[in-house]
Amino acid sequence: MKRQSDDQALTTLMRAAQAGDAQAYVRLLKEITPRLRQIVRRQRCFVGAQDIEDLVQDILLSLHAVRASYDPRRPFMPWLMAITRNRLVDGARRYSRRAAHEVQVENMPVTFCDEGSNIDSDGYRDPEALRQAIQDLSPAQRAAIEMLKLREMSLKEAAAARETSIGALKVSVHRAMAALRRALIKES
Amino acid sequence: MTMDTEKLIERLAEVVEPVRPLARPWSRTTAWLLIAVPYVALIVFVVSPRADLMSKASEWRYVIEQLAALAIAITAATAAFATVIPGYDRKFLFLPALPLAIWLGSLGDGCVEDWIHFGPEGLSLGPDWFCFPAIVLVGAVPAIAMAVMLRRGAPLTPHITSALGGLAAAGLGNFGLRLFHSQDASVMVLVWQVGAVCVLAAMAALAGRYLLSWSSIIATTGRSVLLHRL
Repeated sequence: MKRQSDDQALTTLMRAAQAGDAQAYVRLLKEITPRLRQIVRRQRCFVGAQDIEDLVQDILLSLHAVRASYDPRRPFMPWLMAITRNRLVDGARRYSRRAAHEVQVENMPVTFCDEGSNIDSDGYRDPEALRQAIQDLSPAQRAAIEMLKLREMSLKEAAAARETSIGALKVSVHRAMAALRRALIKES
Repeated sequence: MTMDTEKLIERLAEVVEPVRPLARPWSRTTAWLLIAVPYVALIVFVVSPRADLMSKASEWRYVIEQLAALAIAITAATAAFATVIPGYDRKFLFLPALPLAIWLGSLGDGCVEDWIHFGPEGLSLGPDWFCFPAIVLVGAVPAIAMAVMLRRGAPLTPHITSALGGLAAAGLGNFGLRLFHSQDASVMVLVWQVGAVCVLAAMAALAGRYLLSWSSIIATTGRSVLLHRL
């Protein structure tokens, strides 16, 4: 009974979101996010917390992209579950593809005595500066970084999405990386 | 809730705009036909209809095959539109099966009849290279319209959706072709026209991955959101 009324409430929120009601949309997304996280965690118990969060975000982005495909005369949850199942299968495919190309190393080999070459991670530690640097890129370079580096699309997929050539994308991403490097060095 | 997801939700709400829900598959098929049929009629008019069209209209086999080709286009289009709606009923996938069976059954029956009347000569196969490009030409605008309409939905089964879309456009292309191309020998229709329709549907299935992918649909609609995922 409670589940039915919950679903009814979500259906109402989704209808309002389709009409452009931002507050209803926030409420809807906040309502479904813990449920999605629970589903993802249950079905992908072997992945880490960050991967679970990535999958949840992928589902939210997918929901946003295809929200016009929701029929307001039908219940909301079956629609959401169909997207969730599909994105989880997609995520599993991506995960196994990535795992197949990953090399697990127990101990990081020390190559040089220099301290700089022996850090565990070279991840950039100021996401705000990185975000600003990406926003400062030209639209083409930003799109290239966004597709190839943030969303890990293949060159072929990104070229198809941007309707450009692979060569042009390679040039854009190369120039974008150089620009980011310059901007972040200046920042630090 | 972690900060990243919280931020993403806020960003999604900031960029949310009113959207018109997709119409039901049958309604979308009607809309597609409203674009596709005038184009097919235009092509038939430009190429000029076959001289014996009026007499053909009274031949039951020709009429059945034409109606079956048209029904394949309509049912395959409906099935394709249903597959881009999350939670759709999978029974839709089998919609084109009946007209497809009628089409193949009628052509198969025609082949048997030709064999009985003319012997092996009745099943002789010659080249007819006109069929494939003509079906592509007649089906081009229906295929483009179909692709644009399918991209408004969710790419749950890109290959199947795309194959059904290709089947719909090629089926309509074949319907148009037989209005101006005087080729009615069952074996020739079976090999060159049904063959062309199958090849085009298979090519569409292969293109499905590029045409209907989550990454490209998200990239198109949520570009502004992605920067906030850092």
